[in-house]
Amino acid sequence: MDITRRDFLKVLGILGAGAGAAAGCSPLASYLPTQSTGYPDSPQISSPEWRALNRLSFGPRPEERQRLTEIGLGNYLEEQLSPEKISDHKTNLLLSRIEVLEMDADALRNRGDKIFDNSDPALVLDDFRQATTLRQVYSKRQLEEVLVEFWTDHFNISVQKGDCWFLKIVDDREVIRKHALGNFRELLGASAHSPAMLVYLDNQENHKDAPNENYARELLELHSLGVQGGYSQEDVMELARCLTGWRIKEHFWRGKLKFDQDTHTPGAKTVLGKTIQPTGKGEIDQVLDILAKHPSTAKTICTKLARRFLADDPPREIVNKASQIFLESRGDIKAVLRTILLDGFPHINTENSPRKYKRPVNYLISALRSSGADTDGGRALQRYLKSMGQPLYDWPTPDGYPDTSAAWQGNLLPRWRFALDLVQNRIKGTKFDLKSYLVDIQEGDASFFIDRVANNLLGGSLPPGMEIELLSTLEETLGGNPLQAAEVVIAGVLASPAFQWR
Amino acid sequence: MLINQRFPGAAAARAALPLFPRPSMAGLKNYSPHTRLTFSPFNSAPRGDTLVVVFLRGAADGLNMVIPHADEEYHRLRPSLRLPRPDDSRVAEDKRTIDLDGFFGFHPALRPLLPAWGAGQLACIQACGAPDESRSHFKAMELMERGVSEESGPATGWIGRHLASLDTNNPSPLRAIGLGEQIPRSLYGPIPASSLRSIADFHLGDSKAAQALASALSVLYAGEKDLCVTGQETLQIMETLGKLDPIHYSSSGSAYPESDFGHGLLQIAMLIKAEVGLETAAIDLGGWDTHFAQGVQDGQMARLMEDLSAGLAAFHSDLEKHMSGITLVVMTEFGRRAYENASLGTDHGHGGLMFVLGGSVNGGQVITRWPGLKKENLVGPGDLAVTTDYRDVLGEIFSKRLNSTALPDIFPGYEPKPVEVVK
Repeated sequence: MDITRRDFLKVLGILGAGAGAAAGCSPLASYLPTQSTGYPDSPQISSPEWRALNRLSFGPRPEERQRLTEIGLGNYLEEQLSPEKISDHKTNLLLSRIEVLEMDADALRNRGDKIFDNSDPALVLDDFRQATTLRQVYSKRQLEEVLVEFWTDHFNISVQKGDCWFLKIVDDREVIRKHALGNFRELLGASAHSPAMLVYLDNQENHKDAPNENYARELLELHSLGVQGGYSQEDVMELARCLTGWRIKEHFWRGKLKFDQDTHTPGAKTVLGKTIQPTGKGEIDQVLDILAKHPSTAKTICTKLARRFLADDPPREIVNKASQIFLESRGDIKAVLRTILLDGFPHINTENSPRKYKRPVNYLISALRSSGADTDGGRALQRYLKSMGQPLYDWPTPDGYPDTSAAWQGNLLPRWRFALDLVQNRIKGTKFDLKSYLVDIQEGDASFFIDRVANNLLGGSLPPGMEIELLSTLEETLGGNPLQAAEVVIAGVLASPAFQWR
Repeated sequence: MLINQRFPGAAAARAALPLFPRPSMAGLKNYSPHTRLTFSPFNSAPRGDTLVVVFLRGAADGLNMVIPHADEEYHRLRPSLRLPRPDDSRVAEDKRTIDLDGFFGFHPALRPLLPAWGAGQLACIQACGAPDESRSHFKAMELMERGVSEESGPATGWIGRHLASLDTNNPSPLRAIGLGEQIPRSLYGPIPASSLRSIADFHLGDSKAAQALASALSVLYAGEKDLCVTGQETLQIMETLGKLDPIHYSSSGSAYPESDFGHGLLQIAMLIKAEVGLETAAIDLGGWDTHFAQGVQDGQMARLMEDLSAGLAAFHSDLEKHMSGITLVVMTEFGRRAYENASLGTDHGHGGLMFVLGGSVNGGQVITRWPGLKKENLVGPGDLAVTTDYRDVLGEIFSKRLNSTALPDIFPGYEPKPVEVVK
């Protein structure tokens, strides 16, 4: 049996015809907006541009597609690399209501105190997570947000540990965001002097009498050289001695760092074969200078960046070239990114080149952005991130959330539930507008509708055969309810394999 | 039919509508190991035990769990963290080590494990682990979950390679699951494993739109690429689990702890009793990285041990009648330093601890070639040596209990030695 064009059209009819189209007033027609303003169609985009934009953002919005097509990838990248020049009033306005973003540690700690503020730590964290989600959804400085997420994983701190529930908010502002597109040595230094990191990796427990190695080890293994970076157990122990003496103030200036010479291990130390002069609080900087210039650090950072932006197993030549730039530029993050992105994108351009599976945050935010949904980023939305496996600031171990596809691919169901709940407006504080997708849709013109959905969400179209299959399936289950069929088409595309990849 | 030719998967799926597709055995063969696996001879055998792997993430301090109370060095190296000897009358009995064999004893928080121990269904392996001496959690976990000694070994996991190397004539999408949101590395491989947090929640809802979405997904996920296979399996699991009744599950009077871990073991028990084809399940219990204030009888580590022991005890009694077909392994990436640090905690060490629980375990014994805790016996900065490779334990379970003949593929470059931990 073959399917004729006539059958084809009949199948497509489900969206408009509706059994009860009496008097020319189908359910769909009555639902359509009368004016065709707010037309949501995104400009057509080539597959390489689509992929590039997906890596440079949390999922492209129509205006970003427009901009990239207009000025080209190189210019677009330069624009995104100078976020301070991109005006972003809407996001600023949304964030201006979130007070915790401006507070110092002491004020945050008080804010979480039930007695004085009718609040508790969970509410402080709600505000913090909400702000992050709002930035990811609305910020026009998307590349900066992608980098912030990257460094948040690289210098992972779980808010479950001790006072990190409020110290992490300061760390996010003073360490991660301040240096996300800056200089790696400065970023590393800021992190090493971050009270949140001091608590998270137990360095405040590190005494001269018996060092606690935890931070020393992760500083070498995760933050700089990498596990194969060429250090020994003796280096870990010597470094731990350099790092003794750092404490957090508890009463006046609560949450600020202080150096306590009395608990610092005296004498010179040797780390990676180099002598660290006994300068007390300056020893940490001597060590960081060595680490930031080390070729193993360059390789570790560039491999991770290339993994985030290009492929789980990034091309070696790109990593090598970026490492070279890292060393020559003394850790200029923008210079490294230019190499990885401009030299690297040709490697991800073709149909068969490796793709990146969206991690849960990326998946959820991209669904909101490309579908045009609005959100308050509140608790109801955050719950979906938890079910998908990536609640914000909640990864317990210092390696950060995994960045390879295999770790995430087995957990599709929560994404499917999210897609359906989003489209059906079942998420408190989040609003999806089906109407905007139905503008100018004629009765029976399901094909036009599906093309629009696929173009907006996938940057392309569904294979023709699959489109027919999909429609005939929906006709069977929802033949009498075209609006619900339209919802399921959108949910289906958001839940589909194609939408799971960046 | 045109559609059939273009999208055979989709057409097969449509044939089974309006519910979900349930690809035939022949369909599943398309995803079977021989099409993707180049290293492995394809063996066929009936399935053996259900294997449950509990991974204690963060490096559990085995020396304070199965305590060498008769080793004087233990008490000397841990003046603050040591548990009192079983006969130390200065402290209440429930605060002392529970003697097992005159040399080793349980931490009091492991008391719930005594029935399984007494029944001869629980064995401990002390001073075991991997040869890797990096003392890095992440490297150690990765190598151990891949089951390799070298970074250059295969990227898949040891459970994944087992599943791929043995055709048990089991088309269930539930052959392998990970409890939680991420898939543990040990399950990576050509047979896709699924994450599952809760049987009761594994559905899209029963609205008409939800059913329509499920049908739409069977079309959208037609195909043979990795993610399509996972999607089809997710749909099948939804269908399978939809027939279970988790709300009215009877856990044979066993009380699982109110924790993610307890809840996860309960899900595994339900799947085993429902006979839905579960062969391997992996579940994590994290938080063992006790550099700081790990506690003695109480505190953070004792709470973890209580969760572990209460969970295992509930699982053991709940599945009493099924134990002859179950082997459960508890493992961790490495042990902790023999001497305590100044933060009342312990730093990364080397030799660690395993438990094996099941109906065919040579239980009621601590299996070890005890290396001792004297200075000259310790390795590295002061760590318990490894005298039993973790692959000896797993290898024996694979060959004796899971009918595997593919150990060279599962643990490349390593030949497991007998430890006589299972029959």
